This record gives sequence, C-alpha cells and structure tokens, in this order.
Amino acid sequence: MRIAAPSASRQNLLCAAALGLVFLCAPFPRIQPVVHVMLVLALAPRVGSPLSGVLWAGAAGWALEGSLRLYPHLGGTAWADMTITLVAGGLAGRWPLEGLKGWIARLAGLLVAHTLLVHLAVRLAAGPHAWGFGWFWALLSLPLWGWAIWRLMYSGPSPRLG
Amino acid sequence: MVVHRSKWGWSRAGWQRLALILLWLGHGGWVLLGPNPNRHWIRVADTFSRPSQSLASRWEQWRSARRNSSRDFAETRAENAQLSAELAQMKTQAAQDAPRLAEADEAIRLLGLKRQIPLDLKAARVIFSTRPANFGGLILDRGADLGLVPDQGVLVPEGIVGRLWSVGPTQAKVLPADAPNASVAVMLLRSRATGVLQGVGSGRALIRYVSNQEVVQVGEAVLTSGLDRVFPRGLLVGYVAEVVPGDLELKVLVNLSAPLDRISTVLLLPSQPPLEVQPPFVVQEQKPQRKKGTP
Repeated sequence: MRIAAPSASRQNLLCAAALGLVFLCAPFPRIQPVVHVMLVLALAPRVGSPLSGVLWAGAAGWALEGSLRLYPHLGGTAWADMTITLVAGGLAGRWPLEGLKGWIARLAGLLVAHTLLVHLAVRLAAGPHAWGFGWFWALLSLPLWGWAIWRLMYSGPSPRLG
Repeated sequence: MVVHRSKWGWSRAGWQRLALILLWLGHGGWVLLGPNPNRHWIRVADTFSRPSQSLASRWEQWRSARRNSSRDFAETRAENAQLSAELAQMKTQAAQDAPRLAEADEAIRLLGLKRQIPLDLKAARVIFSTRPANFGGLILDRGADLGLVPDQGVLVPEGIVGRLWSVGPTQAKVLPADAPNASVAVMLLRSRATGVLQGVGSGRALIRYVSNQEVVQVGEAVLTSGLDRVFPRGLLVGYVAEVVPGDLELKVLVNLSAPLDRISTVLLLPSQPPLEVQPPFVVQEQKPQRKKGTP
C-alpha cells in the first residue's frame, strides 16, 4: 500500500513547531538533539520541495549550533543536516515508504548516518569536539517520535490497523 | 519531499534546484573554510609533500651518519697513531730500563742472600766470560783493590759458582765449578755422604769418592761440606742427575744449580770462612725424577 503524501501546510507547520522547540529546548541537552533529529530526518524531507526541506534542515542546524555556542566556527551541523535531508528525500523518492517498521528502520539508519556526518562536518568546520550523547537519546526515543511523526504526517488510519 | 526526475532548465523547478545546489555548496564551502581557512591547504600541501619530506629527511640522516662515521674514523685513526707512538715509546723505554731492572732484581736477590749468610760478603760484577775457551772462567771487575785473594768462594743466590783463581789489581778471574781443574768439597743432602766435586764442563760436575754402599737418588740435592775451607757447609751446589755404580765408588753426575752462562753479579765469601754458619743455607729438595715404566 502506497502511503499518501501529507499536505504541505501541515508539513511546514510541523517543521516550524519543531524549529521553535529546538530553540526552546536549549536548556535541556537530552531533549534538544531529539527534536533536532526529528526535524531533520522525519519532518524536513517530507516538505513539498527539496529546497524547502533543505532550508528547514539548515535552519535547524543553525538553531542548534547557535543555541549551543560551543564551536569557534558554525555551520557544520547545518551543512550535515542539509545533506542528510537531501539523502532522505532521495531515498523516499526512490523507495517510497509502505509501513511503520520500514519507516522506523529507515529513520534508524538515517540517524546513524546523520550522527557521523554531523561530527565529520563539525570537525571540518570547528576542529575536534566532544561527541556527547544526543545521538543515544535520539536513538533511544526513536520508536516514540518515529511513531508520532508517522501518525501526524499521514492522514487516515494506520496501515497496520487497517 | 520526493525528488522527481525532471529535465534541467530555467523553469521554477530548475531555479529551485539551482538555489538548492548553491545553498548546499555554499554551506559546504563555509564549513570547509573553518576558523583558519589556510589550514586545509596547508594540510593538503603537507600530505602531498610528505613523501619528498621523508626522502629528504632520510637523505639528511644518511649524510649526517656518513659525516659522523667519517669523523669518528678520522679520530679513531689519529688516536690509533698516537697510541702506537706511545706504545713504541714505552717499548723503547722498557728496553732501556730492562738491564737496570734486571740488575736491580739481581741486586735484591744478592741482598737477600747476603742477609741469609752472616759473613762479610763482597759483591762484584762479571765483566767478561771466557768459559767457552779451554780452562776459561769469569772475569770480575774487582781485584786486589777490594781486598780479594785467590781461593775465595764465589756464589750467587742459585748456588755456588766457583772460586777465585787469580787476582789482579783491579780484576779477578773465577774458576767455575764445572771446570775440569776445579774441585769442591760436597756432601749429599739425604745420605750425608761426602765427596769431591770435579767439573766436567757445560754446567755439570762429577762427585768422586762416594762409596758404593751409599744410596744416592736422582734429584737429591748436593751441598757444600765446608771441608775445603773455601765454602761453608750447606751452600747449594746442584742436584744429582745420574748415578752410575762403579767398581769401588759411585759416579754421581750433578747438574750445577748456578746458571754459569748467565751470571752478571756475584758475591764473594771471605777467605778461609768458618766451617759452618748459622742460619744454614736454605735448600729446597727436588722430587726424584722417575723414568717411564718404572714403578
């Protein structure tokens, strides 16, 4: 069963809400990476055009680094976010989603790739830095927010529930 | 967001795609610039120049090692030449000092002998040796000027040498004990048999007038008996080399212990010494030589 694409308004609204949460969650270092990853991997790739998705992802990256104020040269996270969003969009175009399990698995793979790419880009931009445990909390909470995005981004009942 | 395959062109999708590419490349360029933009190029240049740097480093190390080894070799050769010169100089010095050292050693040994014999001993040097000739002897550098008279006993630490045969104003001639016309009153250490020693040449002598009844062993020490009033009793003469039984007496061949061919300094006993002096001359008896096959 092919999954129908959600409306662009809902997608942009959700992206805006997530971006606001990235700013608001700055005092909570265990929650902010989760929201950031959710925006980059799950929400931004599903916006109507690639340019919109890349803009949302870049904004998420700049928001995260700007709130952290840790690196001497910003932009690495935003570039990695834009890249991984493009990759996720390409994957969705070539292999459309057909169920929650595939969605979760794809998100897990993208999360790993996103973690590595972010650290590579930040290392290129700002030099050596601490890895932190944001990736761990994002991976731990992946079933939760993955399921939530799945339910929010697609109208109609769940394929499993019929 | 689904990326659809579409033709490139100046459509809205094309503009969006161009903006997307520029945005992504610009961001990437910004990331690559980093806080110090030159460091990437420096790193790239360093990576590419690493082989040549390694080669140059090894080349310089090789040149340095070669230079050091060459310098070490030159220093070692100079040191070797210096040590060789010092060694040659020390050898020359040792060769120059050898006679004096030998003379000093001989003097020490004579002094020790002089202390063992409580008599008025006089010392003299051997300046010439005529022993190879018939009835030859030793010429001493002192004569009547030292109060020497004929028939004074002559000895060295190894044993007796002979007696003064003739005395000149400044020289004296010694008749060695191995001369055919020399005679010394002797006795055997173990058997205490007495006899007269007569020289047979070449550092050997024969004891006569030893009875067949006496038991004489090869290697037995032969001492002066003091009966000739030339030597006191107990001075070492030599060791028995061979014993041949004769009709009436034993022929006892003796190897004289004094090295008559290598004497440089001698001691002279006083004329007419006492028969016996104390402490006696210390003699170490040789072990008897066994022939092969005999028990």
